[in-house]
Amino acid sequence: MTDPMIPRDRCDFSAIVDRPRLKLPNGARIIIWTIVNLEVWDIAKPMARQVIPAPTGIPLLPDVPNWSWHEYGMRVGVWRFFDLFRKLDIAPTLSINARVCEDYPRVAQQAKDAGWEFMGHAYEQGPIHKEPDQRAMIDRSMKVIEKFTGKRPTGWLGPGLTQTLETPEYLAEAGVKYIGDWVYDDEPTTIRTAKGPLVTLPYTVELNDIPMMMVQHHGSDHFAKRAIDSFDQLYQESERRPKILSLAIHPYISGQPFRIKYLRELYDYLNKFDGVVHWNGEQIYDWYTSNVPGPGATS
Amino acid sequence: MLPTERIAYSPIANRPPLKLPNGARMAMWVIVNVEEWDIKQTMPRTVLTPPAGGSPMPDIPNWAWHEYGNRVGFWRMLKVFDELKIPGVLAINGSALAAYPPIAEAALQRGWEFMGHGFTQRNMQKVENEREDIRNTADVIAAVTGKRPRGWLGPGLTETWETPDLLKEEGYDYVADWVLDDQPVWLKTKTTPIVNVPYTQECNDVAMMLIQHHRASEYYDRAIDQFEQIYDDAAESARVMALVVHPYIMGAPHRLKYFRRTLETIRKKPNVAFMTGEQILDWYLSIGPKAP
Repeated sequence: MTDPMIPRDRCDFSAIVDRPRLKLPNGARIIIWTIVNLEVWDIAKPMARQVIPAPTGIPLLPDVPNWSWHEYGMRVGVWRFFDLFRKLDIAPTLSINARVCEDYPRVAQQAKDAGWEFMGHAYEQGPIHKEPDQRAMIDRSMKVIEKFTGKRPTGWLGPGLTQTLETPEYLAEAGVKYIGDWVYDDEPTTIRTAKGPLVTLPYTVELNDIPMMMVQHHGSDHFAKRAIDSFDQLYQESERRPKILSLAIHPYISGQPFRIKYLRELYDYLNKFDGVVHWNGEQIYDWYTSNVPGPGATS
Repeated sequence: MLPTERIAYSPIANRPPLKLPNGARMAMWVIVNVEEWDIKQTMPRTVLTPPAGGSPMPDIPNWAWHEYGNRVGFWRMLKVFDELKIPGVLAINGSALAAYPPIAEAALQRGWEFMGHGFTQRNMQKVENEREDIRNTADVIAAVTGKRPRGWLGPGLTETWETPDLLKEEGYDYVADWVLDDQPVWLKTKTTPIVNVPYTQECNDVAMMLIQHHRASEYYDRAIDQFEQIYDDAAESARVMALVVHPYIMGAPHRLKYFRRTLETIRKKPNVAFMTGEQILDWYLSIGPKAP
């Protein structure tokens, strides 16, 4: 194989002001894309994140307190999400470690029954760089989800958005159509791979409870505050070109009793505006690909 | 040379007063940092740490986070500069000129000042040949603007012991790495002295948002607090305030309004001169103390 492509080889630089405007149907101005992340944290490995650092700062295995913190999300927190989104009549996209279908079938089934989109999100949680056989892992993840839902996922989000330079080829080869890892634009773009084009959807690292709560240590109300500030700006810009606002949440973070009310308040705010639609990743992908001149076009 | 050999200690209260033209009591300059992050290196900053830590390469999420600033965020900021008629200063990596030509073009059309900001975004102490880096940066800026840059800001404000010497020898007239005063100062070099124009580490979105983890509104609060104090201090002798933004930070939709509000608020105050670094330099050269 020749040298893998670097991001610049996959996509030319493009300033948003230089592009033709996309159009949304039926007077819609802004798409809200909600992504719920479901993960499996293997107790035999270091935990993906820590709410409580180990005494003296040296992590030891097993890490029961942080494993439990995450497990709370699956036992309790995610049910707050199901309840909230049922009341709001929103079907989010599920960014799901395939192993969730095996280890937590009760949770996966609930999402399937509620009509949520299943987006591939690796087999289990850990940086993709450490996968001994990435291609096999991707294929396995796609198969496990396909078996569970009866449909091969359209989308993919790397664990922690991680990719190696080869990942886009493996994903295209496995039948993935869109990825969320390239959070570099407000609009979808098309990137090149040796195995055909991939569409990037504007996922979010900033309107995401991991950076806001676990990395930047803000108060619980900050999630809604920042999302509303974003929405106000994007809504204003959506007069001229359609916008997408993504919200990324994790049941062990936003599903906590002291945080969930801010999520509820946020959606109540967003839903007051005209032209707001709630779409999943697949719907955004379908809209984008039917509006741009054919896949394979560069951004 | 040690810093103390380049500049003697001097308390601001004991200096002869400096006066700005047209009754202005203070100068404001606003610096937009445009960088290119090399996907084959560790990312200069991260918004998201990888699961279970470490710094895996390539780091797509953090590369993309920065790239967003140049694809989208910069254009949002540009509207603020345009609407409020504020002259911008572009501190730009040499390599970014070729990577993002529309940005350089937009700045050029508006008559913004271009400042050298390292050829690439990495610590100057890790640059193999510092003189070449400094020279190449000026060359590529001159190729785009038709004029060699007069100002320099190190990537992350980093310097080696020799940086001011090399800058002067390569034709730069001022540097902004020495955040040690509210007025311009002279720094000695091996040849003739170079001016340092007051920049800021704290009224800087990198420090506020990424290091200190404040919420977006802190940018406005701190900038206005800073402004009010400097405005007050400047009653007898002019002072300079710098305001720093990065398109990938303050250009994010949830932060932009605090940047806009900051400039709107300051714009309404009388006797504040919005200048470029170069204009501050020329003013200081014309009325400030002679080079030591």
